[in-house]
Amino acid sequence: MSAPRGFRRDQVPAPGPVRPFSFPELHAFQTSNGLRVRVARMSRLPLVTIGLILDAGEGLLPVREAGWAALTGSSLEGGTRRRTGPELAEALEGIGARISLSTGWDATSVTLTCMAERLPAAMSLLAEAAMEPAFPEDEVQRLRDQKLATIRQRRMDPRSLANDSSARFIYAEDCPYGRPLGGLPSSVEAFGVEEARSHSRRRYCPNTAGLILVGDLELPEVEAMADEVFGPWQPRSVQGDGFAAPSNLEGGRVAVVDRPGAVQSEIRIGQVGVPRSTSLFFPLKVFNAVLGGAFTSRLMLNLREKQGFTYGVRSGFSFRRQAGPFTISTAVATEVTAPAVQEAMSELTHLLEGGPTEEEASRARDFIAGVFPLRFETTGQVASRLGELFVYDLPEDFFSTYRDRIREVTPETAIDAGRTVLDPSRMVVTVVGDAEKVRGPLEELPFGPVEVATPFY
Amino acid sequence: MLNVPVGQHGLANGLRVNISVDRTIPIVAVNLWYAVGSKNERKGRTGFAHLFEHMMFQGSANVPKNRHFELVERAGGSLNASTWFDRTNYFETLPSHHLELALWLEADRMGWMLPAMTAEKLENQREVVKNERKERYDNQPYGDWDERIQALVFPPSHPYYHPVIGSMEDIGAADLDDVADFFKTFYVPNNAVLTLCGDLDPDDALRAVERYFGDIPAGDPIPPIPGSMDIPAKMGETREETVEAEVPLPRVYIAMRLQPFTADGIEAAEVVATILGSGRASRLYRSLVREQKIAKDAFAYHFPLQTSASMLLLGATGYPEADPEELKEALLTEVEGLATVEERELERAVAMTETGLLRRVQQVGERADLLSMFDQYFRDPGRLNTEVDRFRAVSRGKVEDFAGEYLGPDNRAILTYLPGGGS
Repeated sequence: MSAPRGFRRDQVPAPGPVRPFSFPELHAFQTSNGLRVRVARMSRLPLVTIGLILDAGEGLLPVREAGWAALTGSSLEGGTRRRTGPELAEALEGIGARISLSTGWDATSVTLTCMAERLPAAMSLLAEAAMEPAFPEDEVQRLRDQKLATIRQRRMDPRSLANDSSARFIYAEDCPYGRPLGGLPSSVEAFGVEEARSHSRRRYCPNTAGLILVGDLELPEVEAMADEVFGPWQPRSVQGDGFAAPSNLEGGRVAVVDRPGAVQSEIRIGQVGVPRSTSLFFPLKVFNAVLGGAFTSRLMLNLREKQGFTYGVRSGFSFRRQAGPFTISTAVATEVTAPAVQEAMSELTHLLEGGPTEEEASRARDFIAGVFPLRFETTGQVASRLGELFVYDLPEDFFSTYRDRIREVTPETAIDAGRTVLDPSRMVVTVVGDAEKVRGPLEELPFGPVEVATPFY
Repeated sequence: MLNVPVGQHGLANGLRVNISVDRTIPIVAVNLWYAVGSKNERKGRTGFAHLFEHMMFQGSANVPKNRHFELVERAGGSLNASTWFDRTNYFETLPSHHLELALWLEADRMGWMLPAMTAEKLENQREVVKNERKERYDNQPYGDWDERIQALVFPPSHPYYHPVIGSMEDIGAADLDDVADFFKTFYVPNNAVLTLCGDLDPDDALRAVERYFGDIPAGDPIPPIPGSMDIPAKMGETREETVEAEVPLPRVYIAMRLQPFTADGIEAAEVVATILGSGRASRLYRSLVREQKIAKDAFAYHFPLQTSASMLLLGATGYPEADPEELKEALLTEVEGLATVEERELERAVAMTETGLLRRVQQVGERADLLSMFDQYFRDPGRLNTEVDRFRAVSRGKVEDFAGEYLGPDNRAILTYLPGGGS
């Protein structure tokens, strides 16, 4: 069978008419004890995701309590006043639901996805886990030991080591962002049942928490369920909001973390970025896409496609309640470590000097706006999006106006945003690799003094 | 419970086409499986299917190098590809009004990749792949586990013996003639399945597929898989290997040789893996992680190979001062304990599998990939819809029989990593 007349294989096919995308409708209400609930219906498949977002992020804790928010969160699997840990797991998994406990800088989340018909039982179990934790001694100890072993693993995994080290060299020692999210051996060793009880008492309460429900559900039913299940939860007055702004170390230097014999170097080039509340959010997204946020970015086309230095290179802002880092990340063969750092810095500098071309900015806008619906396919994804609204206090119409605001970004506003925030001369280059091989070549680069750093954990 | 609609079609050149409509979100997934993977590689050319996958992004007659990525990203799509033992897949998900772009790109490289091939592109991607091998295998703790396990479970002449990434030496040896031969042999419509899933009109979509792919001539019949697939159902013994490596914690992997993923009743393997190692109510978690506290994590899963044999994998990571012998014995005790399973364990396994499958199928990209898989492996994409029923049909008796038959000491490969290699 041959193609119809007029069919041209040597031309990019024209797109069809754009099809509209409408967001799941959002419903918001509050239970009598102050728990803020957001609900979105998605009824294509009989699934529901429940997410309880607790105002218990690692960013609130001083360095001697590093990791305690995460440990308290994970200790919820240890059991409740009514059920042991194994019984809780059986009850949940027996109905096909697996609870996920995760702590970031800004919140602790207790989430699960279940078949829609299991929603009442699942919600009841999730609430029990969060509201009535037992924190049994042996479970808490076990989770603490697990965390210590994980820290050890991180130390030996070049990628994690590079991430942790880079943060450590950018932020001051007393700044929470300077330490690994999961804590340090000293702070983790100091965690026990009392610490778990105290932390949960301080931070787990309905009036600072959010409940997200997404999926095949009926609004009046879930309202009633939320009221009934979370009703008994006592509100509390909560103190403290964490640190005001991050303090950071002097940039303009290179730190090498030695991994003798390493065949590859993990490279991080970074500095303090901006908080999630920045007014520059959309122009920075576009700027970053052009630099290293897509396959056809400047960094990828140079370091991977042109030079063959790497399998992948990315750049990105970590937007948190306070200013998380901006980082360029890649892994390259040991022999090309210095040239790779050189090329990456060069791309960053050139982009800040000349800005994206109209073509690049246009491609970046189209990419970001275009992939947007892909982040709303699953109940879990939509629940995460709603969680972001809650944690960062974003306006209700944030997602429905997202693509318009991306399309408003121009090459000029993108480069202005980049120049406002980024300064290559202030960046810290972190290299995890074979110090004996990489030190010399790195010293020939103009990015500041090179120091072989002592391990910090 | 699962009712994914799928219309099956075929072009004259042998291309199999599946079309599944879902108008919920204005996106569409285009998914292409070529039935070629590491198992088709001859000795001296291991890693070639994967290297070739990289070459497929270097351009084709009407698409300059990197333009494929550029155009899809520009259209607001995400894309990738992957190489496995039994297949190489290429996939993109994009806003639905860009469907023809994806069809054009995939057809152009299926039919006309060779004219754009150059030695320079091969060299460049060879370096990228070498970096990939370094990053994921050589520079990662436990990175070479699959290479070692495969070498234990399969004899050297078996197509599943060597790792998908191949050896550094073989990656270095591939030349342009190899690229051309490989393309002409395997990248032909009669060796491929194309699945479209999402916001589309099925008739328009099929017409578009015919327009873009119809002119590509069928290739010759696919040559037989090199090497020897004629192996006994079980290994016949316990094989052990201990490696001192630059790893932070001791870890034990145990593999069993099973019937292939396409065999009748193989769901028992999946059920066993769930009972053993999925979730906190699984046996390994309950016993090794919670009760005995000798492992910080544990896992079990079915390694789904299509031809001649597949594997069951299980294992655990110990604490720093752990005795790996103790870890190994504890794992084997749990394996032996599968001689008896309880009804509620089966119920849990079915419930978790059902929720897991539905979660996965929410995404059009995943749905399309599953449909392609069921087409290539079973010639029946709609089999996706009866998957959970097959799991439900696995009785206690079937699980216990399976365990008795395949999980004994006459069918084990045990790989232990000890901290202490390097500095």
